[in-house]
Formats: sequence, structure tokens, C-alpha cells
Amino acid sequence: MARTVLVTGGSGYFGTLLAEQAAAWGHDVRIFDLARPGPDTTAEVVIGDVRDRTALRSACEGVDVVLHNVAQVPLAKDHDLFWSVNVVGTANVLLAARDAGVGKVVHTSSSAIFGIPEGNPITEATPGRPLEAYGQAKLEAEVLCHEAAASGLDVSIVRPRTILGHGRLGIMAVLFEFVAEGAPVFVLGGGTNRYQFVHADDLADAVLRAADRPGPATYNIGADDPPTMRETISALVDHAGTGSRVRSLPTGPAAAAMRALAGADLVPFAPYHWLLYGESLWFDTTRAHDELGWAPQHSHASMLIESYEWYLTHRSTLNEPGRSHHQSPVPLGLLRLLKRLP
Amino acid sequence: MSSDPAATVVVTGAAGWLGQNLVRALAPTRDRVRALVQAPSEAPLLELAGPSVEAVVGDVRDPDAVDRLFADVAGATVVHAAGVIHPDGRTRPFFDVNVGGTQMVLDRARRARAGRFVHISSNSPFGANAAPTDRFDEGSAPNPYLAYGRSKLDAEDLVRRGFGRGDIEAVILRPPWFYGPFQPRRQDRFFSALRRGRFPMVGDGRQQRSMVFTGNLVRACLAAEVADGVAGRAYWVADAEPYELRRIFAGVREALEAEGLAVSGPDAPRLPRRVADLAARADALLQGVDRYVQPVHVLGELRDTIACDIGRARAELGYEPEVSLVDGMRASIMWCLERGRRL
Repeated sequence: MARTVLVTGGSGYFGTLLAEQAAAWGHDVRIFDLARPGPDTTAEVVIGDVRDRTALRSACEGVDVVLHNVAQVPLAKDHDLFWSVNVVGTANVLLAARDAGVGKVVHTSSSAIFGIPEGNPITEATPGRPLEAYGQAKLEAEVLCHEAAASGLDVSIVRPRTILGHGRLGIMAVLFEFVAEGAPVFVLGGGTNRYQFVHADDLADAVLRAADRPGPATYNIGADDPPTMRETISALVDHAGTGSRVRSLPTGPAAAAMRALAGADLVPFAPYHWLLYGESLWFDTTRAHDELGWAPQHSHASMLIESYEWYLTHRSTLNEPGRSHHQSPVPLGLLRLLKRLP
Repeated sequence: MSSDPAATVVVTGAAGWLGQNLVRALAPTRDRVRALVQAPSEAPLLELAGPSVEAVVGDVRDPDAVDRLFADVAGATVVHAAGVIHPDGRTRPFFDVNVGGTQMVLDRARRARAGRFVHISSNSPFGANAAPTDRFDEGSAPNPYLAYGRSKLDAEDLVRRGFGRGDIEAVILRPPWFYGPFQPRRQDRFFSALRRGRFPMVGDGRQQRSMVFTGNLVRACLAAEVADGVAGRAYWVADAEPYELRRIFAGVREALEAEGLAVSGPDAPRLPRRVADLAARADALLQGVDRYVQPVHVLGELRDTIACDIGRARAELGYEPEVSLVDGMRASIMWCLERGRRL
């Protein structure tokens, strides 16, 4: 059924893709973002900030569905913005939706709410236990969704694992640069941890399906059969054929070094990244399969290779200004030194 | 014997520890909940409680803000819960906010022809009990403890005078030490220190403290709103019985364990009573020169028995506390864990 869909954060990496897919589903799409979307969008555009309630109110007029994707991402490392954008901003979106009589809100959450889990897989019943400020803010935002649902707004939550896909870079650029240059790439503690990704297209499909299903619900979304980190990266290295080899660093010292360097802004990672790289975190996606009829089309190896190929093609133009965190490569900082290791 | 609850309730201090709980209790059943919050970012978080919640952003000392709060609320119940308990370094805000703010709210409530005025006071106008088995009741003589106690006593006096003039139909509630959901960060730190056996126990821990679970206090506010024949009176409102301090510490550790958080260390390191006596003296000296140092204040108060008898609230307000220590502490811990707070 064609509906008017508001995509908040619709100019960001995932928001752009989601807006395109929503249009392909036949919806009338409106984008709400601080930044203008790309030139080829067919969507109606409202420029605004989720911290501005007036702007949100007009953006929600006549809207049937809100897909809420605005977030200050972990790379921002700005705790005040985590609160004002991710928590208060979410409250603003939920209120604007409620007051405008929006029929459905789908809130994009994060697997960061689980920190380093005690066990895997994680189901929708697993309690959140974030380890850092970004994850805490995303969990607070989920609590607000539940509160809004309790007072009558139909809000569902989708929690994606690490998103990949063409055009998705952020910290992945670090890995891709190492592979492209034939430098050694590192896993932690042998790389036996199971680390899950999800393809942006598969995630967008899950969000749109969740939007079509009445009643508040929560869905964990990740690609099927997550392999170990070493298996995933080996598949990429084999594909690239640049002479890169997978090497392992001991988990404890590497994490300690990352903590020190990230604190001093000498490496591009936020706590959420270094905490998780050597850990297992994967979702049981049974509920999404059963209730939404969702089935991911992309495997771990294929999406990593797809992202890498996109990176190779666009490498020369990536540092242009005006791209979102997730569309831009992060500067390497001291990680550059690791490349020199034999 | 009681009247009907008002369709509109005005709450000051709505983003505070009591206010958050109270607004959420009121939102589903009232037409309008006017809620005064200080920071713009607090407004949307509170308004999510339901479409009846109308947040007004501003300071209780700001006439414009309080005018907006009381616009068109004739007949509304007022719960005046705004107050400063741990100011940032100076004692001045105790008087500006607790006394000046109360004066402002009383005045605007009168002009707006508001209904029942529930004033949230404190144990602090009454100081400490002489012996661990003594209890404050409504006949106890004022003996304010330092600047906070004096400010809350002044505020009570303003309320009583306003009632005496026929300005407002006031009921004063005197809750002691709070615990419950929507706790401030200082309570997180209290829990995590107790969890690790690092919060000091002053003396033998047999000094008694009344505490009030925020849910119980919300019930008391709702009871005070509708009870007949109680205007002009003050009531002590707390959990059913006071607890020994050592029981409070043990109860928190029990609740942490029951919520799956392993506790470590001894129950609490012992501090001789005279250390707390010194802290209390230092606190008094500091407050004498307009300085407020929270840890010194808290340590000084830990030696005392501050316990009350809630018999009159039970009899006249029909107040019945339903939750006691461990269950209430568990609810608080659960609230923290749901939000990813680390204890």
C-alpha cells in the first residue's frame, strides 16, 4: 500500500538507501535531514534538525510512517551529542509523530546496546547492557520508544548489526586500505570471534517490512550464519589477491593500546569499535524471519567484497568534503604504523 | 471521606526525582498535567508520558515561566516539588529556590485560583532525633539542620501563612530520604559504592533512618490531593517503618544481588562516629561562608537518626505505603539497568 513515508536522516548513508528502497516500494518519500540528499533523489526534502521540535512538527504533517534514522554515530565521540541527538532527538521525533497522528514509527537502534554480550546469539529478549556512551544513548532511546508505545503510538524497533554495502566506509576504510596495499590485516585473539554484518539493502528491507506490520515490536537484524572474523577477513584477502595476510594480535594488549590511543585521538576508533572487534556479537534473527518474512540476500563474504570493490573504484575521490561519517573514510592516525609490520 | 481528583494538575520540579514519578502516575488519568522543567531538553522526555503532559520550560524563580505554568488552571491541584537539595558549591540557591521559588508558586497559585496545594517539604526543618528509638511526629518542634533545613522551614512557614490568609488550600508533606526510579546520578554512585563495599558505615550502623520509596510518596501526594479536612496541616510521609542504617546498606546489596549484580568487598568500611562529627562541624563552618560541599554534608548526616512516625498520614490522609526497602531498591536498580546505567 502506497503511503507517505518520512525518512529522518535520509541524507546519511543508510537513510539514502532506505529512502530509495521506500520509493521503489511505491511509497511517497519525504526526507528530513540536516544535509541535502544527493542530486538524484526524487524525494521531497525538509532540511532540519531533530533537536528542533518545530521543524519536526511540520515535517510530520500528512505522514503515515516515520522511519527514524537520525543518530550521532560512535565516530562522533561527542557525549553531549549522543544525548541531545540520539535521546532527546528521538523523543522529539516520537512526539511529533504522535501529535501528527502518524500510524507507524520504525526506530533504527543499534547492536551497541548489547556491549560485549555474555553469550550469543542475542535474541530480542536479551537485556541491553551497553559499555560506552553511544550504546547507552541508543538504549535510552529504545526506552523512550517503549514509553511512547505504552501511551498509544505504534513504534517498532529494528537493531542492525554492523552495516555493509556499496558506499559504506567509516572504519571499514581502515581494513580496505590495508588490504589494497597488501599490508598485513589484524584480527584479535586468533580471530575466532563470530562477528556479524548486515547488508544495507537487507536492512532497509527489514525496516520497510517492520513498517508494514501493525503493533509495536522489536527485531534484531543481521546476515545469516555469521562466520568467524578470521574467516570473513580471509575471504576478502583471498579475493583481493594483494598479498595481504591475516595476522593475530593478543586481545588484551591490543585493546589496552587502542583505549590509550583512541582516548588521545591518535587512532580513528570510538570505544564501541575497539571493544567489539575481537568479540563475538551475533543476532538470532528468527523473529524477523518468522514475523516479517524477511530473508537476507547477502552473505558475509559477498558484502565485504562488494564494499571493498566500491572502495577501490572510489578511492581517489573519497576525501571530498560533505560526506557523512559513514560515507567517508576515517583518517588512519597511528594505525599507519601497523602497515609497516612485516 | 475525600473529594474527586482534579482534572488538571500543576507540578513544579517535574523533571526531578519525585516529579518524574508523579507525572507518569498522573498522565494517564488526568486531562492536563502542567509540568515545570528547567532545561528545554527535559520537556520532550516528560511529554512522552502521554498527550496530557504539557511541559513548561523555565525556572521556578522566573515570574514569566511561573505565569505560563499557571495560565488557565483554575481549580487545578498543585504539587510543588521544585527544590534544591544538593546545590553546586554555594548555599545561596537553597534560599533563592526553596524559599523564593515557593513564594512565587504560592502567589501564582492564588491568582490562578488553584485548588489543593500539596507542598513537598522535608525532614530537614526538624534536624535529628536525640536517640535511635525517638520518632518525629507532627508535634515535633522545628530544629532546622543547616542551610537546607532553614530554607525548607522558611518555605513551610510561607505555605502556612498563605493558608492562614485563605490564599491557598495547602497540605504539607515531609518526606525523608528518597529512593526509587528516575534516580539522580548520585544515587547510582551510592549503589555502586555499596556494591563494592566502599561506602562508609558511620559508627555501629544502628542509627535509624526513615526512607521513602518514590512510588509511596506519589501515593501520598495523590492522597493529600483529595483528603477532606486536612488543609493547613503537615504530614510525615515515609515507608511503613524506619530502617537501621546497616539494614539499608545490607538491603541495597541484597537488591543488587537479586537483580543479578554480584556484590563484593565487606559490607562497608567502618568510620568512627567522631569522623562524622568532624564532617558535620566542617559542613556548618563551610555553609557559614556560603559553601556547600556535598560529600562533607552527606558524611556529617550519616551519624544521625532521622526517623518519623507516619501514623497521622495513615489516619487522616488514608496513606498506606505499599513498597518497602528491598522491593523498592530492586525497582530502582531495574530502572537503572533498563537504561544501561552501570552500577
